[in-house]
Amino acid sequence: MRKITACHWLPTSLEKARFIGLYLVLLTPFHLMGQSRDGIRYKDLKFEPLSFAQPRADVHEITRKVKVLFLQDTSLPLVSIFARFQGGTIHFNREQQGVVTAVPMLLRSGGSEQITPDSINTLLEQYATNLSFGRDGRSSFSSLNTLTEYLDESLEIWNLLLTQPGFSSEMIHVWRNQELDYLRRSERDPNTIAIRTFNQLMFGDHPTGWTLRPEDLDLEDLNLKNLSDIHRKIFCRDNLTLGVTGNTTWSHILPKLNKFVESIPPCESTFTEVLPIPIPAKPGIYVVRNELPQTTIIIGKHSKVKLDDNAEYFAAQVGNLILGGSGLNSRLSSRIRTESGLSYSASSIWTAPTKPPGVLAAMTQTKNSSTGTVIKLIGQTLQELSEKPPHSEEVQDAIDEISNGFVFNFQSPAQVVSRQMFYLTQNLPLNWLSTYLEGIQRTNAQDIHNIFRENLARNGLEDMVTVVVGNHDLLESELNKIGTVYAIEPN
Amino acid sequence: MAPFFLIFIFIVLVPQFHGEAQAQEATDLPVTEYQLENGMRFLILEKSQSPTVSFVLQYRVGGIDDKTGSTGTAHLLEHLLFKGTRTIGTLDLERETSLLNQMDLLEDSIIALEETSPTSPAITALKGDILQIERQAQIYVVANEFEAILTRNGARGLNASTDSESTKYYLELPSNRAKLWFMLESERMTQPVFREFYTERDVVAEERRSRIETQPGNLLYEAHLKAAFKVHPYREPVVGHMQDINNLSRRDIQSHYEKHYGPENAVVAVVGNIKAELIQEWADQYFGHLPRGGTERSITHTEPDQKKERRVSVVFEGEPQLRIGWHTVPTDHPDNPALMILTALLTGNRSGRLFQRLVVQDQIASNVTSSIGPGDLFPRLFSINVSIPSPVKTEDVEQSVYEELENLAEIPPSEEDLQRIRNQISAGQIRGLASNFGLALQLAHSTTLYGNWKYTFELSQKLKDVQPEMISLVIKKYFNPSNRTVATLVPIDSCVR
Repeated sequence: MRKITACHWLPTSLEKARFIGLYLVLLTPFHLMGQSRDGIRYKDLKFEPLSFAQPRADVHEITRKVKVLFLQDTSLPLVSIFARFQGGTIHFNREQQGVVTAVPMLLRSGGSEQITPDSINTLLEQYATNLSFGRDGRSSFSSLNTLTEYLDESLEIWNLLLTQPGFSSEMIHVWRNQELDYLRRSERDPNTIAIRTFNQLMFGDHPTGWTLRPEDLDLEDLNLKNLSDIHRKIFCRDNLTLGVTGNTTWSHILPKLNKFVESIPPCESTFTEVLPIPIPAKPGIYVVRNELPQTTIIIGKHSKVKLDDNAEYFAAQVGNLILGGSGLNSRLSSRIRTESGLSYSASSIWTAPTKPPGVLAAMTQTKNSSTGTVIKLIGQTLQELSEKPPHSEEVQDAIDEISNGFVFNFQSPAQVVSRQMFYLTQNLPLNWLSTYLEGIQRTNAQDIHNIFRENLARNGLEDMVTVVVGNHDLLESELNKIGTVYAIEPN
Repeated sequence: MAPFFLIFIFIVLVPQFHGEAQAQEATDLPVTEYQLENGMRFLILEKSQSPTVSFVLQYRVGGIDDKTGSTGTAHLLEHLLFKGTRTIGTLDLERETSLLNQMDLLEDSIIALEETSPTSPAITALKGDILQIERQAQIYVVANEFEAILTRNGARGLNASTDSESTKYYLELPSNRAKLWFMLESERMTQPVFREFYTERDVVAEERRSRIETQPGNLLYEAHLKAAFKVHPYREPVVGHMQDINNLSRRDIQSHYEKHYGPENAVVAVVGNIKAELIQEWADQYFGHLPRGGTERSITHTEPDQKKERRVSVVFEGEPQLRIGWHTVPTDHPDNPALMILTALLTGNRSGRLFQRLVVQDQIASNVTSSIGPGDLFPRLFSINVSIPSPVKTEDVEQSVYEELENLAEIPPSEEDLQRIRNQISAGQIRGLASNFGLALQLAHSTTLYGNWKYTFELSQKLKDVQPEMISLVIKKYFNPSNRTVATLVPIDSCVR
């Protein structure tokens, strides 16, 4: 209870009245606490249904059959344009990964054929325009955010960078130095080491398991020809999908987009995905040694769940919230953090790509001496979910979390447009979000039990891959009691 | 599309940003200010873009308010305020309270023993008893119920943070469930129960290991502040020292809470699709009856002038890193805008002087940043932080930093340089209006620290008034060798060599 003996308390008539009120609160029986002054408890609060129109982008096909998602937003004098090009790391071989990674970064920093990197930077800063570039497994992307009044100038600069990149040799050196330094630093970061090691063990020589290595950054490979080759293959118009939102009209932006697209050359070829079947490492405890006072742990295995309109996918989504995807209330966090105080963060991930396998994994950090205990707690948590269905209350809580928070999928037009662009590239229907919500709401405890049973190993930890980044000398005897231990040399 | 010459004309002319009028509107936002008689302040901004509402509740208490030897108190209290109340998080408050009281009595015994016979084996036994009782109390606990109520109602971004000078509790809710915030938060303000104390204290110790003790950059930051500030509490880590964390008691937390948490010390910002009248009504209903509470802070420590350069090294298994800091001024000092513009000039973007010199031209750094902190209210440290790739020598980088500062002291930046920064400030103000949550943070922060929600918007205006020669003046005034503290991260390997 709050103090009532504040030394500056002045018993004016108003304060006296307050004092009496507070005194009554102090004497209130416990079972009546938690009520507002009108006697309503939070459990009795009734909420009006939230009615709102889901904003949806219009889909247009412009010149050269390029699809554009457009959603006007007049709230601020800004325009955002998103470009997604099919073509990412999985479309190139292992030896090309350095160059594939370099291309989008150097599109931003390497200047254009006509304008130096410094001048490009100066221009973008003058117009206060934000440009970003990046890539993932299957796509490369770039986005422009500009004040409406500088839309033409910003589009022009963006177009120059995308179509006539300079790949300045000085900036190639700078980017390479930064990447090498980043790799050296990440070799000391326990979480990065754990995630990288886990991916390598799960996916072996499959692009999902690849990470950049210093040898991928050989200067001889980062030459103009190689960069231009990959740039030409990815950043061509047949690979392109656009999204536009902001303070502009379709009739105003259309001619600009047509001109923009026309300046981008056609693609010379299409990408095909011939990927090896990933073979995970044998189950066991893989230890990467360091001397830090805390151990990072990842435990997981392959998952067969696929991103699609099927009960398995929705059950995995809800199941992951119950396991470790919903903050403090998830089972992992409740058990390892709240009940045991052994970790600051304990969470899970359940990936469901369009082409499985994905992974189901738990991750946490704990002091070295608790490592064995925490591994066992994770094992118990997984085992329970594979042995019996979750409680109906926790299933309903997880469904309510998604359903009641559904509106947060529509907080900004940019969020709506970029999400729908993702759906297009994944061959999902543009109304996928509604399908998703309906699927989640149909999920029940038995569905979740089934999906855990199918995707979790029958023998618990013995059938899973465990990565431990920690002080091997301290952990060795304890880990040997849990499973077969393999030492992995740090890179 | 515009022809190329358009671009080059602009390079020469450097346009003055035309969004000026728009930017000025930030101080004219239709914010409703509402203060209860008990001193609690509400800032309400109606925005109709999506049917959601952002809440930020900020208390004027942070790491600098921790007692000496009890660092981490404000932060641990922030954690414990998620443990529920007298009605939320318990199955039987009476029995639970009885056990919690027993734990407190044992803790008192430990404290007494530590003073009289610190090596007594009874201390260890008593600590074991406390943990045993906490385990017994757990059977009455509904774990994480406070969060569960909000999460199942669709809350997003539910979290809290403690910094040097304030503590924030924030979340977003669907508009139709906004009343829930008032009901839960008023109960948390008045009737928290610090249950699961010892377990949560261990969680915070793990947090320290995760955030500080395994992260070389943060270890260096901690050492840098400790070397630079000899007296002022800015020298202490907000998360606390490990030894202090492990010695905190429930009574420490209760005392800190009673001193600082109350309507008078609280500011609430509400931004989103909700009527201001409704917020005012609920504010009256749920918080209006509460007594004043939350005392003014009394920081009496004044950092003495630094007389000579200080240097500190952290030996760690990591890559080299360099931090250089100079004592400067609080945020509300007239020199602050020029110092803030200096950070933009040095490292604010790819054209930044230090980025160009160290990363692009000399290629002796992989990254460079600058900042002023760690708080706002007291004289702060202007810091430059450089990531250095092996085998570059830290001394060479340090020398280059000083040369660039000397250049700027001699020759002020051009008007064009500053105009580009002004344009970005203006655009940043516009972009900042897009996010309900971002706006709520800004309104709450300005009001908590300066009593005026317009403060940060007005500060942005002041930044745009900075003239080139002011940059040179602040460098000459503050960036003296005797006023600086240099911290270096030295890899273990190089020590061995």
